[in-house]
Amino acid sequence: MPYTNQEYLPSYEELTVPELEVTSAVFRTAAHHLGKYCDNVSKEFMLCRSEENDPRKCLNEGKAVTRCGFEFFGMVKKYCYAEFNQYMQCVDHSGRLMDFKSCRKTQATFDSCIKETFGQDRPELGYFSKVRLHQTCRPRPTLAPHILPERVPDPPSPEELRKPTDKLKNPHFTAAI
Amino acid sequence: MVTYKQDLPPKGGFNPIEFAARGPKRMFNGFTQFGLFLGITGLAWVGWSYVKEIIRKEKLELMDARIAVEPFIYAEKDRAILTHYRRCRDEENQLMKNVKGWETGTLWGEPVYHNMRSRYIKPSLEELLTHMSPSEQSDMISDKLYR
Repeated sequence: MPYTNQEYLPSYEELTVPELEVTSAVFRTAAHHLGKYCDNVSKEFMLCRSEENDPRKCLNEGKAVTRCGFEFFGMVKKYCYAEFNQYMQCVDHSGRLMDFKSCRKTQATFDSCIKETFGQDRPELGYFSKVRLHQTCRPRPTLAPHILPERVPDPPSPEELRKPTDKLKNPHFTAAI
Repeated sequence: MVTYKQDLPPKGGFNPIEFAARGPKRMFNGFTQFGLFLGITGLAWVGWSYVKEIIRKEKLELMDARIAVEPFIYAEKDRAILTHYRRCRDEENQLMKNVKGWETGTLWGEPVYHNMRSRYIKPSLEELLTHMSPSEQSDMISDKLYR
């Protein structure tokens, strides 16, 4: 383990949060609406992650993402449980890819329920695949400055070497005599 | 009286002998065959351009679903991996408590990596699997999720 006791690793209390314990089918079915609902926090977290390259510095953003997921699924469970379940069962049993093409009817009922509850439409096709810009007030991270060793003095230039020198002033010469 | 049957040529004589070379009988001639080929290829081309668009949209929808869910997966994964680092460091502290000259995270006091700018360093595979049993190590290497 290359982490010394002096380096920062977050404690167990910081890392223990309620986790989203749902299966992949639930994520796949709710993906488009969940992504739209938690768009800003997700973008903030991914930006932090790619800029800092350090998971220790993006813990709070990650917790915000998980909390937003909890909010979304809580509301879905409260208001749209039957529609979501039906849609999820269809997608789960639709083959190894869990694709949407054979589940358009259940998708339509789920979308209408989401529209009533959250007031959000299904994002257009390709919304998440496009490159999106994100406005943030977090400052751009900078690395600690690189502490270089002292610069070795330059060797003498050819002009200096051509000048005649007094050999008696050279300690190496006087020592050799 | 004649009781045997003579081996005679049939009534009206034999058919004329076919001495010229005969090829197989073709349903279509050459031009028709090429025309059919070009026609069917053209139709298939047009049909495929419609189907390709539909398939592209389906794949894009699946890709959208993957990308939308990524942040949730990464958040959980980061927390899990940091917990693992913490446990490994605590385990090393516990193990090498009474060993003289050992500092956790270094090789007898010498740091493992030259890290002047305090970057985040991902530990190597050996460092991650140090405190596991051999069966657990092989499970991790081969991505085995259950025994």
